[in-house]
Amino acid sequence: MGDKGFFTDTTVCIGCKACEVACKEWNQLPDDGFHFTGMSYDNTGHLGASTWRHVAFVERPAPLQQQDSGLGNFSWLLHSDVCKHCERAGCLEACPTGAIVRTEFGSVYVQPDVCNGCGYCVSACPFGVIDRRADDGRAWKCTLCYDRLKDDQTPACAKACPTSSIQFGDLAELRERAQERVEKLHEGGVTDAYLYGESAASQPGTAGLHAFFLLVDKPEVYNLPPDPVVPTAKSKEAWRSMGLAGLGLAALAVGAALFGRAGGGA
Amino acid sequence: MSFLFPADSSDRAQTRDGRNVDEKLGALQGEGAHQDIRRARIDSAFPLPEAGRGEKTAPTLQGGATPDYYGQPLLKETVWTWMIPAYFFVGGLAGASSAFGGAVQLFGGGKLKRLERQLRWVGAAGDMASAALLIADLGRPARFLNMLRVFRPTSPMNVGTWILSGSGACNTVSALLASQERGPLKRIGDAASLGAGVLGVPLAGYTAVLLSNTAVPVWQHARRSLPLLFTASSVSCAGALMQLLPGHSPAERRAVRLFAAAGMLAELAAGVLLEREAHLASGSGLPAATDPVAKPLHHGASGALWKAAKVLTVGALALTVMPQRRRTTRFTAGALGLAAGLCTRFAIFHAGKKSARDPQASFQAQRAGMGAAELAEAPRSFRLLVLR
Repeated sequence: MGDKGFFTDTTVCIGCKACEVACKEWNQLPDDGFHFTGMSYDNTGHLGASTWRHVAFVERPAPLQQQDSGLGNFSWLLHSDVCKHCERAGCLEACPTGAIVRTEFGSVYVQPDVCNGCGYCVSACPFGVIDRRADDGRAWKCTLCYDRLKDDQTPACAKACPTSSIQFGDLAELRERAQERVEKLHEGGVTDAYLYGESAASQPGTAGLHAFFLLVDKPEVYNLPPDPVVPTAKSKEAWRSMGLAGLGLAALAVGAALFGRAGGGA
Repeated sequence: MSFLFPADSSDRAQTRDGRNVDEKLGALQGEGAHQDIRRARIDSAFPLPEAGRGEKTAPTLQGGATPDYYGQPLLKETVWTWMIPAYFFVGGLAGASSAFGGAVQLFGGGKLKRLERQLRWVGAAGDMASAALLIADLGRPARFLNMLRVFRPTSPMNVGTWILSGSGACNTVSALLASQERGPLKRIGDAASLGAGVLGVPLAGYTAVLLSNTAVPVWQHARRSLPLLFTASSVSCAGALMQLLPGHSPAERRAVRLFAAAGMLAELAAGVLLEREAHLASGSGLPAATDPVAKPLHHGASGALWKAAKVLTVGALALTVMPQRRRTTRFTAGALGLAAGLCTRFAIFHAGKKSARDPQASFQAQRAGMGAAELAEAPRSFRLLVLR
């Protein structure tokens, strides 16, 4: 088995949305309605309970290395977003029912037969990936095609990607390949290229992503957080504060009882 | 039903579940095949945020703010309804009442009998109402018992469910046996009341830990002061409710008055701390009203609720500490105190909703070193305790 994951190289994405379609088809997810957002060619908007791949279209008048459209500073960035299957996952640690588990492939999986739709994971994900479907009542997200992995198949999105922007494989091997790709881009003049979340060192807040990305601009441009952190990593301070407040409450309750007893006469 | 939805019409299949799978040709066995689609119009199940409705059609470029993606939210807004902040209010009230009840039983010297009995009943009724609110808000209410199939210390919601279950059991026993004067039944009732008192202490404030253990900027960055605020507000609400209830002896009134006044004072102080903590998080150096993290506490519905909570608490505190109080004064103080507690919970809840919608709140706070960088050492990875 070993840890499997995605390496998404955004520099070769052509925005065909084959990944979105393949994901919907294979997983038999319902459509989301047919919207026109006005945001470039992105009419999907964001990941959601029944949208497990989402292609972002960053269309703007900003210069980019090695991109020349002949229209001045105009440039494109395309980015196929997906659940990151974090090494330390906010959703998994927040889940009160144990419905969200780590699979034998290292992915994060929501068991639909256990989830009771409490919605806590929705607020705990630092990437805003997982969502609860109002009419279904449960939380849903990318499964890394758990059913396909069990049969030794590549996930539908990676299988459908015509430019190998989405690469699937053993995590260790993907990291090496990604590193080589970054070096190659640097040699070719795209010195802005870097890997987002490929290791615990580059993203300590999640201890590294199992679905990581090659980007050429700030993470915010792609709607990715610059320094995400699993909320549980910070909860110790909140528990400590609650303990302090609890001591205060206990002392006050005892004090008030003694105070009442001492006076009043009745 | 087949005459209503003829299987040969693929258009019908599409309006039915949005999958467009002809069931004669394909079996529904995919990972998402069992998502229940009950809406007649699928569109309404997938609302795009405001920025996605054509208000902003160009990405925000550098300059001033950090860039973002067409102003789209980074985070998902909480899916909880009004029932969750209502639970924060009722559960906190029950917790602080139980803690007060336990203390009165141990240290009241038998002079505060009526108050003790009332506190037991408030604790029991509050726990029941809490459970009802929590279950009703679940996406799958019938599966509420799944909360208790594991013990998971990393999930404040799981820990809280165990606390509430224990407290509910203790409070029910203690309330049912509250009228026992002597014998083993009285001893069982007293023991249960003490148990509820001990569990009531965390019940009064754990909901703040639950909120701060999320990615929502205003909740996460207020994690040191939020538990103080929620615990204090629970105390002041319990004190306020006791001022509303009749039939207290002078000794009982003394105890209630001190309890309520201290809670209200602490609530005001914790509110100041919280505003400060949220404001410092983004490192923007902007005034609080325009700071991306603290903004929801100063604008819109959440800002108005937050302000109302403060005003109501001041009013309740003034009427609580006023000398020579008549019944109507006590009653008004109690009503204002309860209203303040409700406003506090709903203000924090709506501030979080707003905060999740604003990508700049996350981006700027993280750029200012309030993301993972805030933790001195790399987060420790620990095995989850999952009991099956």
